[in-house]
Amino acid sequence: MIDLRDVSRIYRRGADEVHALEGVTLHIPAGRFVALMGPSGSGKSTLLNLLAGLDRPTSGEVIVAGERLNELSEDELAAFRARHVGFVFQFFNLIPVLSALENVELPLLLTDLSKAERRTRAATALRVVGLAERADHVPRQLSGGEQQRVAIARALVSDPEIVVADEPTGDLDAKNAEDTLALLRMLKQEFGKTVVMVTHDPRAEKYVDEVHHLDKGVWLEARPGGARTAGEVRHG
Amino acid sequence: MRLPLSYSLRSLFARRLRTALTVAVIALVVVATTLFLGLISSLKRTLVTTGDARNLIVMRKGSSNDGSSQLTLQALQDIRYFDGIARDPKGEPIVSPELVVQPFFWRLDGGRENVLVRGVEPAAALAVHEEVRVVEGRMVRPSAGEAVVGLGVAGRYRGARLGDELEFGRGRWKVVGVLAAGGSSFESEVWVDARELANDAKRPLPYSSFRLRVAPGTDADALVRRIEGDPRHALEAQAETAYYAKQAESANTLYALVVGLAVLSGIGAAFGATNTLFAAVQARTAEIGTLRAIGFSRGSIMLSFLVESLATALLAFAIGGAVAVLLGAGVSRALGGIGFGAATFTTNVVQLRVGAGDLLAALAFASAVGLLGGLAPARRAARLRPVEALRKA
Amino acid sequence: MIRFLPLVWRNLGRNKTRSALTGSAIALAIALVCLLRTMPAGLDAFLDEIAKNNRISVHNKAGIVYPLPYAYLQKVRAVPGVVDAMSWTWFGGAFEVEKGVTFPNFAVDPEPLGVVYEDMGIEPAALADFERYRDAALVGRQTLRTYGWKVGDRIALLSTVFPVELEFRIVGAIGQDRDPRFWFQREYLTQALAAQGVEFDQLGTIWARVDDPARVQPVMSEIDRLFRNSEAETATETEKSFFGNFFGSLQGFVTIILIVTGLVALCIVFIAANTASMSVRERIGELAVMKALGFRWRMLFGTLVLEAALLATLAGTAGVLLTWAVTSTLGRLAGWSPQLGPLGSFIATNAILVEGLFLALFIGIVSGVVPSWGASRRSVAATLREVF
Repeated sequence: MIDLRDVSRIYRRGADEVHALEGVTLHIPAGRFVALMGPSGSGKSTLLNLLAGLDRPTSGEVIVAGERLNELSEDELAAFRARHVGFVFQFFNLIPVLSALENVELPLLLTDLSKAERRTRAATALRVVGLAERADHVPRQLSGGEQQRVAIARALVSDPEIVVADEPTGDLDAKNAEDTLALLRMLKQEFGKTVVMVTHDPRAEKYVDEVHHLDKGVWLEARPGGARTAGEVRHG
Repeated sequence: MRLPLSYSLRSLFARRLRTALTVAVIALVVVATTLFLGLISSLKRTLVTTGDARNLIVMRKGSSNDGSSQLTLQALQDIRYFDGIARDPKGEPIVSPELVVQPFFWRLDGGRENVLVRGVEPAAALAVHEEVRVVEGRMVRPSAGEAVVGLGVAGRYRGARLGDELEFGRGRWKVVGVLAAGGSSFESEVWVDARELANDAKRPLPYSSFRLRVAPGTDADALVRRIEGDPRHALEAQAETAYYAKQAESANTLYALVVGLAVLSGIGAAFGATNTLFAAVQARTAEIGTLRAIGFSRGSIMLSFLVESLATALLAFAIGGAVAVLLGAGVSRALGGIGFGAATFTTNVVQLRVGAGDLLAALAFASAVGLLGGLAPARRAARLRPVEALRKA
Repeated sequence: MIRFLPLVWRNLGRNKTRSALTGSAIALAIALVCLLRTMPAGLDAFLDEIAKNNRISVHNKAGIVYPLPYAYLQKVRAVPGVVDAMSWTWFGGAFEVEKGVTFPNFAVDPEPLGVVYEDMGIEPAALADFERYRDAALVGRQTLRTYGWKVGDRIALLSTVFPVELEFRIVGAIGQDRDPRFWFQREYLTQALAAQGVEFDQLGTIWARVDDPARVQPVMSEIDRLFRNSEAETATETEKSFFGNFFGSLQGFVTIILIVTGLVALCIVFIAANTASMSVRERIGELAVMKALGFRWRMLFGTLVLEAALLATLAGTAGVLLTWAVTSTLGRLAGWSPQLGPLGSFIATNAILVEGLFLALFIGIVSGVVPSWGASRRSVAATLREVF
């Protein structure tokens, strides 16, 4: 599903050149739940951006869902993301002036679906994450954990193959963090999504199939995650 | 403790684009208002500085201005020796009989205007109208086909420059001098010999009005009553300044118009300033929380933001005021003065000058905009509770 | 784009204070621009109204205030091509003595009036009354409105030029809405002056109607030729030229008005741009998220510009309504002011109101473009790096 071949990403910050990634090669098969971990500045977020089609490599190839991302134009990348990728961010996930339902509906505005169809799908996605009764609430009226769940529903609604999450539990307390991770696990388990997550959270290891470690822009190793070795983590 | 001035000023310049835009808005409004204010004050100045408080103007009863009045030689002879009229060192009464006519003149850009031509006895006129001085060339000689032009005229009409030949009425007149009159409406006039003018205009009666100097120490009202009470002629007399002041009243409507404009635009500009300052308060919420936590009082925070707002407005005033002065002078020069139709059917050429008074008014205006515009955001900043402010950070 | 309308609308409501302040400022500025525009528009409208006829004026070459002998009238009537001609002479009558002359009033010849001024919309009955009653007066609608006079009223005017006060009876209205003129019978004045032993054998200006537009030029030349080298040489010109020159000296004032209008319009751009840039700044993160979801930068750009345009247009509508309200209230006073003539118009035509609206829309779009351009073009990754 996801293939990176000798990928490097260098960008300018002011007068300096930052080597965010150097010669990374890795492969993530479909349906895997993967965590990218490493210290600050390790390049994990950059790596996530590249495989999500948010950024282009300076050199190397990025092949996701059969598409060569490094060869696509801006507009083509946008179309790719709309079709194939769902997003969960740490901050600024939701549009504050839209209700939970409207936030979930957002990706569907890029499709040809009618308003009624969009609403139905969004409502279904909200039900999946257990927030059906909060459909009309605006983000201000939702807790941090609930906002993340709405984001996950949104990541689900256009039925993408991949879901990427950038520090999804970074801003949450213990209970909400566990709930979020469990939901992400469910995406892989019950919907067959490939989920790639950047995280600092040590709790995350229990839920993922694989953990990739990076440091200073270099891919170090991949180890099996807790879910692979310890079987299913039931959440009560 | 009070927050230092430099805090306010530096905060202003930290967000350069926003500050620049707000300054631009207020400055534009200052320019617009100041220009208009300058225009009306220049007009008022023209009308109100005209006239000497020591002079009387005598016209036929019922005329509203000397252009429509007609007086006989007999009337002149009858009243000129009245008691109360000042005498010159030779014992002659200081009386200037004048004839007013409004012929066509052609502007340099081709348009046509009525200009006030005053037929005078040269020496008498200069004696009575002390504010009028010949600044270039010399005064006209009687029966020589000569004319002197006011400063406003010289640059506005064809053939009006010193040494040129002016065509108006039925003849040609040689321009031999230029008159200055302290910016008054005399500078929009052309003076010629009265007898020649009467001839050219074929006036049955030789004069329109008499201007005379009241002798020092005389009761002017008594003199007025004497003149008006004379049974041989139907005359009316009033102080020269009162005469011109009445004509200045027409500028009052215009003044009201300008004030209305200023208020409307000022409110708009104030809203713009308020917007910007609100955003600044929002962006600096954490900063304010910190300051309050340290111990700065609410009053000091409010003051600091008000100062910021005021500083923006003052900067805008400095820029806008300068632009208005330059623009006004430029436009005035380009157009050869701004023409206003006076009550006498003629054109008053106003040299648009943004004066000190106008700038002062603009300063007050800009300050008001700055203070009123900044009030609401400053209050909000002051009311922020430190704990909440810091949490939002 | 329609499907984004709810989002755009909601975004305007994001910071209601800011939207209200910006909207009010724009509304006021648009109202100002419209009000200012009514002034020169009033002048143009006046000149256009009279441009369409074959009336010419004959006056003394030296100036309008120089008189012509009354005998000239007959001679002009006799010129081939002239349908009929009448004279008018400035009376300079003041209705309220302290206020001086507040509307132009003239002594005219009644008989040729109907022909020379057939486009004036004077009722035939009124014309008949005008000829029948010596003290009859025809009054322009503007003046009637200003003083609340009606047909049948009797009013008196004190002349500031002649030593007489005359009382008149109003028999009809002349002209379009903005006409301030006041006409009465010349004979009435002649008799009043004769009673004082003053002979009245002069006139101010002759107005003549030419039968054919193509003949206007030759007829004018012929008339001037008739009186060349006589005591009072004439200058003949079309009515449009006459009034154009008459108000020509207002040109300076008009220029200033135009400059001020431009300044205010520029103001609006800055206000709107400032607000747009602030709103966009605050939403950089959100915009990045939307881009991540697959929204193209052009779509985002479009929604941001739409937002600015929507606010400006709504505000513009309010401003236009405000203009309409102000000018309607001025009502009585609008149309003609003694100081400014037709410039003191303040009559907001539909054209001005519509143009004000479009100005607001245009400004909204322009001001939204610059801040939105940068924001929507930013790369998602760069934004995420900076913001997170």
